[in-house]
Amino acid sequence: MAEASKVVPSIWTTGWTDILNTGTWRSAIPVHQKRLAPCHVACPLNSEIPTWIKLAREQSYQEAWLALVADNPFPAITGRICHHPCEGGCNRGEYDGAVAVNALEQYLGDLALREGWSLPQPASELEQRVAVIGGGPAGLSCAYQLRRRGYQVTLLEARSKLGGVLREGIPQYRLPREILEGEIKRLLALGMEVRTNHPIEAKDLDSLEKEFFAVFLAVGAQRAKTLPQFPAVDARITDALHFLAKVSQGTVPSLGRQVVVIGGGSVAMDAAASARRLGSQVKVLALEDRESLPARADELAEALEEGVEVIAGVMVQSVVSSDEGIRLNCIGVSLAGTVPAAGTVPAGVLEPILLPGTEFIVLTGQVILAIGQEAELSGWDSVFTVGQSLVKVEANGATDRPGVFAGGDVTTMERYVSTAMGQGKKAALSMGEFLRGEFPATGGSGAEGPDPGAVVSYQEINTFYFPPTSRENKGNVAVEQRLRDFREIKIGFTSQQALTQAERCFSCGHCMECDNCFYFCPDMAVVKDASLPEHYHILDQYCKGCGSCVEECPRGAVVLKEETR
Amino acid sequence: MGYQIKEEKVFNSGHAACPGCSEALAIRYVVNTLGPDTIGVVPPSCIAIISGPQPLSSMRMPVYQTTLESSAASATGIARALKAKGNDHTKVVVMAGDGGTYDIGFQSLSSAAERNEDFIYVCLDNEGYMNTGAQKSSSTPHLAYTASTPAGKLTPKKNLAEIMVAHRIPYVATATTGYPDDLARKVAKAKEMKGLRFILVLAPCLDGWGLADNAGPKVSRLAVETGVFPLYEVENGERYTLNYGSKGTPVVQYLSLQKRYRHLSQAQVEELQAEANLNWQRLQGKLS
Repeated sequence: MAEASKVVPSIWTTGWTDILNTGTWRSAIPVHQKRLAPCHVACPLNSEIPTWIKLAREQSYQEAWLALVADNPFPAITGRICHHPCEGGCNRGEYDGAVAVNALEQYLGDLALREGWSLPQPASELEQRVAVIGGGPAGLSCAYQLRRRGYQVTLLEARSKLGGVLREGIPQYRLPREILEGEIKRLLALGMEVRTNHPIEAKDLDSLEKEFFAVFLAVGAQRAKTLPQFPAVDARITDALHFLAKVSQGTVPSLGRQVVVIGGGSVAMDAAASARRLGSQVKVLALEDRESLPARADELAEALEEGVEVIAGVMVQSVVSSDEGIRLNCIGVSLAGTVPAAGTVPAGVLEPILLPGTEFIVLTGQVILAIGQEAELSGWDSVFTVGQSLVKVEANGATDRPGVFAGGDVTTMERYVSTAMGQGKKAALSMGEFLRGEFPATGGSGAEGPDPGAVVSYQEINTFYFPPTSRENKGNVAVEQRLRDFREIKIGFTSQQALTQAERCFSCGHCMECDNCFYFCPDMAVVKDASLPEHYHILDQYCKGCGSCVEECPRGAVVLKEETR
Repeated sequence: MGYQIKEEKVFNSGHAACPGCSEALAIRYVVNTLGPDTIGVVPPSCIAIISGPQPLSSMRMPVYQTTLESSAASATGIARALKAKGNDHTKVVVMAGDGGTYDIGFQSLSSAAERNEDFIYVCLDNEGYMNTGAQKSSSTPHLAYTASTPAGKLTPKKNLAEIMVAHRIPYVATATTGYPDDLARKVAKAKEMKGLRFILVLAPCLDGWGLADNAGPKVSRLAVETGVFPLYEVENGERYTLNYGSKGTPVVQYLSLQKRYRHLSQAQVEELQAEANLNWQRLQGKLS
């Protein structure tokens, strides 16, 4: 066979590999998506925390504040007194300390008051009139959200001034009066009718319903609980609600040298610390032991610093009241195994086990009972369902009377200002649906929590991209100074502190266009695309589904979706 | 990222690397930094597979596939031919694996280094003959499993970076894929220099090391943060600069991600920790 002469081409390559479809190899494809941050989910107001912290980090402070007030009209208030579950949920907590969300909120809130920024006016006016009964946190939050959407809002307040618990319950050393006034004034500048000294009873509802298209009831928990062992009528025995209200009005009651506060919650600590400021020696007697007091740890620590004596794990068995004073016969108790699980009804009912041999006597001139309060709902049970001393509402805030909604302390035992504000907001959204005729028969918006996979977990954070930095807390005024008067005891962040702390936010689930997904793709299958809200797209033809972009995203803003062919 | 990566589109999608391949990621930053005015030299290796199934190519530049032992000699010839033709702009780059560098191609590399030939040599080091079923090379680390060291390799990894430093060539650098900006910066720096420039890139092999498809960058960073593979540069055999070194992360964090180390006893883990400490200490002595 003759040898065929072989022609060797000078160039072997005739084309490029980009005509090949390596995308057919994969079984999953990355998807860029905005996901829920745990702080946002934990926030009773569902504040867009990563969004406003990002804007603060960029020093776009007014934009940051505007993003913040979209959900919460009172950042200077909640920035001081919120129990900040956002920080409990913060993924950075598992790394090097939660982001100081609450202090950042206060920073923006205070800046807005200083700069005189206004809340945005409603885009358009609607004719429908709505009534909000109660000018406390829930009512004001609801009124704000309705007004933002253009409804004509009338606020009905039983007292002479708006604010509710913000004015009468929370001591001024936690929430200075000028902050409260500033925030309320700015809210009212949106234009709403306010009728103060206007208490509403159940029998008034019919006429309100004629005047208004929808009603929100948020009259709070106004009735202090009592203990049977204490005499009902004795000027030397008062409840914390009245005591704190008087202190806030400046009508300082004369307390005497020795004051005993009964209770272990936040209100008990507020009453005790207020009495200290009025010059008394204060003992707090709490049923729970020191580790499980319902008061927040920082509130307890402050009270102790200020010289309040806290005797935990005790109860008052009997009271002997005479001209010399009040004699409290006390005994040590154990609550082990008897503390009702969170969420059980009625919450807060404890069955103490007495510990014989631990009896002791406390002599005092003044007792302040701070053992909780209930909603005053007599009469209201004839207009809608009331159960367990709370108004029965759906998750969306609707009572079983069409067009009547309720929120705040009349609907929940979770006695937090932010929770009440969150319920006010949620009810306002539902009222909007109701007024537009889009209202679902039952349940409705917000009935279910988010799908757990929708929330970014700590495991999805790539901590390599976040060098450890320490968390800072608000400062404290020195104890001697604190005891002199009712001036604020916490020192807010400086602008430098705010910036440094804002930089610590992981921005969970919120793309910051760092381009890691682009740079770590071995297949050049991630393309930057400024026209897309998610900033990138995936080349279906080439992506092999390795998931490097998901792993290298610092903040869980890319997820892998399984594909079936 | 500390360094702004500037890429020219030389490396194409559609190449045949495994999903998540670190070597493909390294090639991206080598050829896209050097640009199209470059001639590549590739010996048999995964890089030869990735550079394209004939007649297609994944690199929009000429690539010469040479024999396993002769990458540096081939590059020498190409670089000298360019010079003879008066071409002083086209760069020559070898992209070889550790088998073709530490073992089979070592003689030609050492002699080219001794002559200070004018090309860039990038060793994409995945610590074994991963393309042929994961046999050991002289780059395979101590106690790592390979198909030919079933109980773990008995001898330590050859320290090729220091061997190249001993040749007193203009530039030696170590890099890895978990720090793409650092890798791209080193390639860009080498591009502006003359003479033999050697960059050793640790490129974790997902299959050969027993890693998840998305774990390449992560394990590469752990190699650095544990002090197993510090990133540094040496100019003219003398001037050492540390870029990223040990953060004191325990070596076990690096080892435990990789199936090739899953047979290790506690004592062996401690042995590897001690070796890493010693190597890290030695390197620190050379810094200053």
